[in-house]
Amino acid sequence: MTSLSRWRRRAREHFTDGSRRRGLLVAFEGADGSGKTTQRKLFKTWLKAEGYDVVTTKWNSSELIKPIIKSRKDVRALSPEEFSLLHGADFRHRVEHVILPALWAGKVVVADRFLFTGLARDVARGLDLDWVLKLYQPLLWPDLVFYFAVSPGTSGKRVLATRTPRFYEAGQDVTNVDDPVESYQRFITRVIREYESLALIFKFITVDAERSIGEQHHQIRQLFREGEQRPWSDWNADAVAEWLATGGGAA
Amino acid sequence: MTARKPALIAVDGVAGAAIAAAARAALTSIDRAKRSGISRWDASGVFEELAVAGADAGPPSVRTLLLLYAADLAFRLRWEIRPALADGRSVVAAPYVETAVAFGRAAGIGGAWLANLFQFAPRPTERRFVDGAAGRRGRGRRGFVEFGFEQVPDVMLGATRPELVERMTAHLRGRARRC
Repeated sequence: MTSLSRWRRRAREHFTDGSRRRGLLVAFEGADGSGKTTQRKLFKTWLKAEGYDVVTTKWNSSELIKPIIKSRKDVRALSPEEFSLLHGADFRHRVEHVILPALWAGKVVVADRFLFTGLARDVARGLDLDWVLKLYQPLLWPDLVFYFAVSPGTSGKRVLATRTPRFYEAGQDVTNVDDPVESYQRFITRVIREYESLALIFKFITVDAERSIGEQHHQIRQLFREGEQRPWSDWNADAVAEWLATGGGAA
Repeated sequence: MTARKPALIAVDGVAGAAIAAAARAALTSIDRAKRSGISRWDASGVFEELAVAGADAGPPSVRTLLLLYAADLAFRLRWEIRPALADGRSVVAAPYVETAVAFGRAAGIGGAWLANLFQFAPRPTERRFVDGAAGRRGRGRRGFVEFGFEQVPDVMLGATRPELVERMTAHLRGRARRC
């Protein structure tokens, strides 16, 4: 990984080349029950109809790491640090094997949750924001982050209408509350508070998730049309350079 | 050595077999009544599971392996190291932080990222560094570095294995001099 400057230059040249459609990274963030998955699906369908090549990536879905996380969640064996580090590993593996290859090929990557999910949940579990954020370095910033703002009450109502929250989803590892419903309500309140802070710090585009599905979808289309004109962010040069230096983009 | 207070003895190096031998020697130097045992890498089984993952999943990068190493170390601290110390017993951690840091530095990972990654790990009471190159597959106890060499493809390591071993050894010798 020596001479990263050469790879940074190559990354800049590739992503600022106006002769081809550049890859775009769009993240959907928000609490459980905020309706972001519904919106992500509608958005993907629309993008495909518009002629975009679309790749979707979901939180905690790396084929390599997900089974490791699942087996530990099943036996409730994770401390907040282990939870955070394993999700960081899952994210890194997807960045290297799914997200960056797709962006390099000029595709639109739609991320159903991004690193901000890790930040919000881990900080809600009592970890330090700075420590967690640095785990995700070199940082890859989305071109657009849609944040689906919902109240803790609405999140709880929507989630509980379909299922009882699982142990970690309910934050029972940190609330020490036996009742998953009560624990969820307490934990999601903390998670949403962290999301609200992150939305300000990282300038998310906030979508009012209490509005109708159609209204939200049309707002997202419009915001995407505006956002896709933005220039490539040079903040991503380090992440792309490291990937290129370790064999990425070779094909 | 007879530990008066419960001690965390870190044993780091490149070669798994050399680390294992040094760990045994470190353990026997502690008064039998005051010692706990050796905390080894992959106590959590993370790497065992990783090794059996299908090839379709794609190989891990050095950075991914280090995140997993940190997760495993957090597990070891929670279940092996801290309980032993709390019980008034000394424990040998082999390998501990420096092996992983040397692996990451040799592969070009920044020192600041590594320092942050292992911020949660307490400073050991005593540090021991062992020399020796990483063993070939199937010879002696396989250590974290040998495992990394098996899992991460050449192109993702960013250097040849002998170069990496040389860099790791130099890094660890430098750390040994400063300690």
